[in-house]
Amino acid sequence: MIKTFKEIINYREMIVNLVKKDLRGRYKGSVFGFLWTFINPLFQLLIYTLAFTYILDSGIDQYYLWLFVALIPWIFFSSSILGGSTSIRASKDLVTKIYFPREVLPIAYVTSCFINMLLTFIIIFITVLVSGRGIHLSVVVLPIIWIIEYILALGMAMLFSAITVYFRDMEHIMGIILQGWIYLTPVLFQIPEEKPAAKAIMMFNPMSPIILAYRDILYDGVFPSAERLLYSLGFAVIFFFIGFYAFGRLKRHFAEEL
Amino acid sequence: MEDTNNAIEVRDVKKKFKIFIDKGSELKERILFKERKQYEEREVLKGISFDVKKGEAIGLIGHNGCGKSTTLKLLTRIYYPDEGTVEMAGRVSSLIELGAGFHPDMSGRENIYTNASIFGLSKKEIDDRLEDIIDFSELEDFIDNPVRTYSSGMYMRLAFSVAINVDADILLIDEILAVGDANFQRKCFDRLREIKRKGTTIVIVSHSLGQIEQICDTTYWIEDGVIKESGVPRFVHERYMYEMERKRILQVEKEQLKKQQRRKEEYLKEMEEEAKQEAKRKKKEKEQKEEAERKAEEDRKAGIVDNFKKKLPYFCEPDAVRTGTGEAEFVDIKLTDKDGNEKYIFDTEEKIYVRIKYKAYKDDLKAVLGYGVFRQDGLHCYGTNTAIESNQPITLQREGEAVIVIENNLLPAYYYIDNALHGTDGVKYDDIVRTKTFMTASYKHDIGISRIKSTFTVDGKTYLMGEKKDGEQ
Repeated sequence: MIKTFKEIINYREMIVNLVKKDLRGRYKGSVFGFLWTFINPLFQLLIYTLAFTYILDSGIDQYYLWLFVALIPWIFFSSSILGGSTSIRASKDLVTKIYFPREVLPIAYVTSCFINMLLTFIIIFITVLVSGRGIHLSVVVLPIIWIIEYILALGMAMLFSAITVYFRDMEHIMGIILQGWIYLTPVLFQIPEEKPAAKAIMMFNPMSPIILAYRDILYDGVFPSAERLLYSLGFAVIFFFIGFYAFGRLKRHFAEEL
Repeated sequence: MEDTNNAIEVRDVKKKFKIFIDKGSELKERILFKERKQYEEREVLKGISFDVKKGEAIGLIGHNGCGKSTTLKLLTRIYYPDEGTVEMAGRVSSLIELGAGFHPDMSGRENIYTNASIFGLSKKEIDDRLEDIIDFSELEDFIDNPVRTYSSGMYMRLAFSVAINVDADILLIDEILAVGDANFQRKCFDRLREIKRKGTTIVIVSHSLGQIEQICDTTYWIEDGVIKESGVPRFVHERYMYEMERKRILQVEKEQLKKQQRRKEEYLKEMEEEAKQEAKRKKKEKEQKEEAERKAEEDRKAGIVDNFKKKLPYFCEPDAVRTGTGEAEFVDIKLTDKDGNEKYIFDTEEKIYVRIKYKAYKDDLKAVLGYGVFRQDGLHCYGTNTAIESNQPITLQREGEAVIVIENNLLPAYYYIDNALHGTDGVKYDDIVRTKTFMTASYKHDIGISRIKSTFTVDGKTYLMGEKKDGEQ
């Protein structure tokens, strides 16, 4: 595995190029172009805010902000896994014709989603400032949260991208899983303290501490719980190695399967 | 690596592919048809081993589907072997799929970066090579235009320039030197030689044996997933060519015989059909018919039958021309080997047996039997007949056979043969132009129309080609 990591580092320029191509290509040809990176989450925010403030009253103060700081990281996570899982299939031409460490493809995809999220954080910061809450000192730990989430997303994208090559349904199964997963994560609503079973399940979910941490830092302006984050980190690292290991085993026959 | 002087070590590599009959990778299909065998396994490589020394250039040859491209793909690590090992020392670049990852909307310059990065080059390494790449591609004026505006030649030039400037330790090439115009090809070729001089190990898969001979030190001939022969390219290629030619000829022969068989069947069917209609008409116009037949019979006896058959018989080429009075006629003509097997392709110096069946409609008809051979372009190669070869006229039976044995010295080309049955006075009984076509094949590279046996003796030593050429190395 160390050999693979070394090789991936040698191919860093390829990752950089793929990320650039992806970011630039994503909205190419559309009128607003790169602005869509910002328009998309803004509209999602608007819809959820309207729904949860006026239709279903969540009872949460400044719900739009409460939601926004969690929603953006969630979108990163889910799109990384969804798009990442098809990243090998999508680059069939490359995979069947030329050698490069195959890990590069999901890495590049997740990285481009990640950069997309970081760009959207500009809007988050502006929203936080506009809301009057101000930016708390705990913002210094934000990069750590980003990294944990990145590792978790990458590990899962690796695993599922390799499986999808052999088993196409995986892509659709992931779509369903992710739709359910958002409700096991305190993105749209708070953890129901009065329902211990639901709470236990939600806290088992490694994404919950991550989402809560974002909210602690950006909404409540406090330092997040290190303990819970360690749990997520542990989970992320394990998944990362499982993902890489499985990918390493499965990649041998990619060219034949595609 | 067992030997540090080796750049590539391939050890007993086997590779199977699953040929899917109906590929089901959906869950439903996987569960429902779990028991059903959905694929066949085909073993493409059945145990291949070879070493390539650092700085050596090797060529892989073999007919389509023999496994040479699979071998190359194993070397590039696109495929992994099922069994055995492939070890490579150093950076590998491949000229297999040129322009992998090119993006049509990006400029040539940007694509250089993308493409080179796929070979594992860092930004700095690409920066260092950028100028060389652009110079080599001769695209200075277009390098900032999007690649979609390039002609296909320009596109390939750019791709080739990137791949060849990677400065790999091992360069893998698949049928590549067909890039661009003659000048650029020349340049690529020179560059390849330069790269080889610098010590790069090169593996080429090609059908162009000449190119392999110019660059490679060793050729590996792969057949049916194993290495059939290896050694000095020129010698291996000679035997390879011989084998290929033999295979090709067998194939052509098979097709030709099939075609003839089909023609025969069609002919017989048509004849049958005609006979049926004839029978119908006979019924209706019985009397008239009888009358006419009587007359025809009389005519035939009197020897004034003409147009005796408008239809060409099946044994002729479709474009044959038949004339004659019909007092005697050919009913079958075959070209065969000495054992009587019908053939289409004859080796130079192989005897051609023209086997003829005839019918005569008069007793004791005196005749001359002859033939002529023409090359496809119309050159009259040879012609003779029984009157030339012998001073006795032949007397035909009512039904009989003849064999003409031709000592064929004709060099490889397409030929056709004419056959004629004349009266001693020159009246044509049956004369067929282009009865049969045939080909000749030869493994010797002599030139001209016909082989004239020649022996070279220089300074007292006679130079002859041995039957089997083992004398290399």
